[in-house]
Amino acid sequence: MKRYITAAVMALFCLGIFCGFSAFNSPVQAASSEEKLTVLTPLGSPPSIKPKAMAPRLDTLEDKTIYIVDNGYPGSDLLLTEMAAWFEREMPETKALYKRKQAAMGGFEGIDEALWAEIKEKADAVIIGLGH
Amino acid sequence: MGIPASAIVLAEFYEQEKEKARQEGMPGVRTQWIQGPVWAKTREEMRRDVIEGINPVSGRPVMRELVEKLTRPLTAEEKKMEEIKQDRGPETYTGTREELNKLFLEKRFTDFLPIVLPTPERMDEMLKGTSHDPDEIVGRMSPTNTGDFFEYWTFTVRDVAVNAVMAGCKPEYLPILLAIGSADPRTGNSKEAISISDNGFVGALVINGNIRDEIGLNYDVGAVGPYAHANTTIGRAWSLMAINLGNCGKVGTTYMGVIGNPMNLINIVIAENEEKSPFKPFSVRKGFEKGENIVSLFEGWGILSAANWAVNRWGGEMDYPQIMKDIAAQQGFLFGTCFVLSPPIAGFVKARFDTIDELEKWIAPPPQQFPGFAKPKPAEGGDAPAPKPKMPAFGGFSNISTIVTGASNNNYWSAGGLRYSRSIKIDEWR
Repeated sequence: MKRYITAAVMALFCLGIFCGFSAFNSPVQAASSEEKLTVLTPLGSPPSIKPKAMAPRLDTLEDKTIYIVDNGYPGSDLLLTEMAAWFEREMPETKALYKRKQAAMGGFEGIDEALWAEIKEKADAVIIGLGH
Repeated sequence: MGIPASAIVLAEFYEQEKEKARQEGMPGVRTQWIQGPVWAKTREEMRRDVIEGINPVSGRPVMRELVEKLTRPLTAEEKKMEEIKQDRGPETYTGTREELNKLFLEKRFTDFLPIVLPTPERMDEMLKGTSHDPDEIVGRMSPTNTGDFFEYWTFTVRDVAVNAVMAGCKPEYLPILLAIGSADPRTGNSKEAISISDNGFVGALVINGNIRDEIGLNYDVGAVGPYAHANTTIGRAWSLMAINLGNCGKVGTTYMGVIGNPMNLINIVIAENEEKSPFKPFSVRKGFEKGENIVSLFEGWGILSAANWAVNRWGGEMDYPQIMKDIAAQQGFLFGTCFVLSPPIAGFVKARFDTIDELEKWIAPPPQQFPGFAKPKPAEGGDAPAPKPKMPAFGGFSNISTIVTGASNNNYWSAGGLRYSRSIKIDEWR
């Protein structure tokens, strides 16, 4: 009895392989996969980019005033006060002023109009951080 | 201003910021790259590792190179002022199924799963779901919709339909996707499902009204999971819209989630179980009529079983409102809190609070400040820093949302960080 069952299982297994192989090579399937389709782009439309001019550089930082602006991101205060201290140690002829941006409603992305006006009037260069 | 400047940015954001500078029309902007993160470093660590360290991109000393960036004359390349024209490339692609699937994958038009190829015939069929002109502009999307930090891509009804086809949606789902993609009248921007944020945010939708049954949205067993065609494909389509219509989710430039979020695949789609809820539907609490078809948009870290919160308690006498209050406190300062209650839990809450408004007012403590904005410490001998500014709470505790969905086969519920944005009438997009 056991031998008959084994033979039947083997026969079914071989039939399965044969049928599977036939389906895999079926001309209908092959033709379908070779058919050319045209599809649409799924992308939205990006805008054109208008260039902005970079400000000319300074010849030297000697006797110049650099505003080091803290935008309020956590850790910026330590980083930028240490940066101001570096200028004092290494380039004492450069005046480096640490300034904390006051932009109560805008967070670190906000614009501090008063500070911006002060920079325009008094700064020769600006360092701003932190982009995290 | 005409004043030379250099921004200090973590080197981990190099690719992103180069792309941002290009989009801003200043591809040569002289950023100085430092080793991050700086948050939680001591003053000594900051001096040793960052100020006296090297730029990880160039391998040169940070401060000496920074001085050069302010003094080295601009190159001819940096002085260029030509407008950069951008377009979306070919309107159509032709090939075998295999070729097109491969192409869509390589171009990152997909979420890495197989898609339904968007043939013109399928798009036409999809467009039967709306009466709107296929060329009508629906909105504009960027990876950061809360500010003009990345360029916005505009998109039409047709573009939304193409992405809906790719996600496997039915035409009757299209009005929901158009409503989701519609521009916020307050800002003109559309809400992206995949934010650039390093938080790894996910988008969430709450759908109210008769459309829930009309299109077969699930709000019973497994309500917020992928257990119905409508919930799953609508959520997936929103992510594909973000990828293709808003240029979102590109790792290194428009996606910076530190750990990432598996929920970005299909987002969190919540059809509210209005029939089993003892409270007014979410949309009604936002001012719409009961039965009106409304989709409400959220963003945040996502939701987890309430059992994950340390403040959760199990026992015979469960004080669910108190647990909700404790979860809101534990949730943190930056973003809103969202509760997704199963009907039995909502019933327990109802026993103590007649309305959700009363509950949420009781839960909400006074607005608090961002915890990282401690008073700056002055450098030795340096200029004293300014006093600590009052920072916005980014929604914070004032943004608590409670939604009822799911089944009644046990007392489970979820909570998490999701911030409500706005609610939109779906029928205006039919």
